[in-house]
Amino acid sequence: MNGMDQERFEDLKDVYVLGALPEEERLEFERYLVAHPDLQGEIEELSTVAGLLALSVWEQEPPPGLRHKIMATVEAAHPDTSRRSWLAGLWDAVGVRDLALAAAAVLVVGLFSWGVLLQGEVRDLQGRVQSLQSQPQGPQTIALGGAGTEQGARAELVTLKGDRAVLVAENMPPAPEGKTYQIWVIKGDTPKPSGLFEPRGDSVAVVVENPVEGAEAVAVTIEPEGGSKKPTTDPMLVGKVKA
Amino acid sequence: MPLVEVGDPEAFAALYDRHGRMAYSLAYRMMGEKQEAEDVVQEAFIKVWRSAGGYRVGRASVRTWILSIVRNRGIDQIRSRATRGSMQEKVEDSAPTSEPSDAFAETWRNTQQEQVREALKTLPQEQLKILELAYFSGYTHVEIAERLELPLGTVKGRMRLGLQKLRDYYQARGAAVPR
Repeated sequence: MNGMDQERFEDLKDVYVLGALPEEERLEFERYLVAHPDLQGEIEELSTVAGLLALSVWEQEPPPGLRHKIMATVEAAHPDTSRRSWLAGLWDAVGVRDLALAAAAVLVVGLFSWGVLLQGEVRDLQGRVQSLQSQPQGPQTIALGGAGTEQGARAELVTLKGDRAVLVAENMPPAPEGKTYQIWVIKGDTPKPSGLFEPRGDSVAVVVENPVEGAEAVAVTIEPEGGSKKPTTDPMLVGKVKA
Repeated sequence: MPLVEVGDPEAFAALYDRHGRMAYSLAYRMMGEKQEAEDVVQEAFIKVWRSAGGYRVGRASVRTWILSIVRNRGIDQIRSRATRGSMQEKVEDSAPTSEPSDAFAETWRNTQQEQVREALKTLPQEQLKILELAYFSGYTHVEIAERLELPLGTVKGRMRLGLQKLRDYYQARGAAVPR
């Protein structure tokens, strides 16, 4: 093939994101991309568009044994997973909790090595760790993004004690005549209707009617007055609650 | 994902529970039969497990990342087939025919999927066919040109226009392209 330059890059970028370049050409394209990192963003954006094709397929139920096969392979490769999981959880806790929790967690780890005589104290400290972990944290905020923000709207989900949350929105355009804003808590890909609201003034705060703990996302759509059982429009705002 | 990265099998199982169905659906669409689709998904998820540290949050959603691994594995499989020709006919014949379940329509994911299907319906058939031959069947642009007896420039042009039209569909609605 001819040497890669900007013109050829432009000519081949769509072919590349569709995975339709022959191997040699693909490697040359990727070398050019490495040498021109400023083009990476354009390719990522175009790849997202090409990736839409994957979402167009009709869903098929995987064979029931597939999950077991995959997990058996994973677990066979990592026989010490239960211990590692515990440690990972502990270090995760240390990373996000306050200093007292960190100290308690470190003590737990240390005391484990003392053996039988100190087991009682270890249990006591483990209890303290669990107790600290279960204590309510301060409010956390999650910014919502989406098409609504392009119209100037700004919204945050504020999670409160336990699993409750409040949606705070600013500069929301008025809902069209006969329509209302509806909040959805999305768990396991199922959106649960979680409250209606009409923006009044510059800002509005609405209690989210379903627990957000364990949810994947919270979204806002425009729905007919009175709300819908399922979303009928694209989300104006979406915020991921967990990764 | 952070827990998958540090090797937590429970987190990995949750990841499979969340994305396995979509991954299998894509693999089935590409391979056209169950056993091969199963093999592709199994290999893809093992790769996810082994290379979870390579996932970058800002670049794509977890779903997009997993589906890209499934697709790449599927393409490798298709290209390594000795009986590629006959199998591809089967794949093309198997283009979406099944209907979604009732539960399907209730999911948020489906809203996105329905929208993607609507977007694809706006493409002229000749553009859609070329995108599908490349994306699902793993043909290179050269192979597509030969197969459809079209000039290479026409194939590239239809790819470009097809992707542009998809992007325009979302832009016209003020919506972001699902990641």
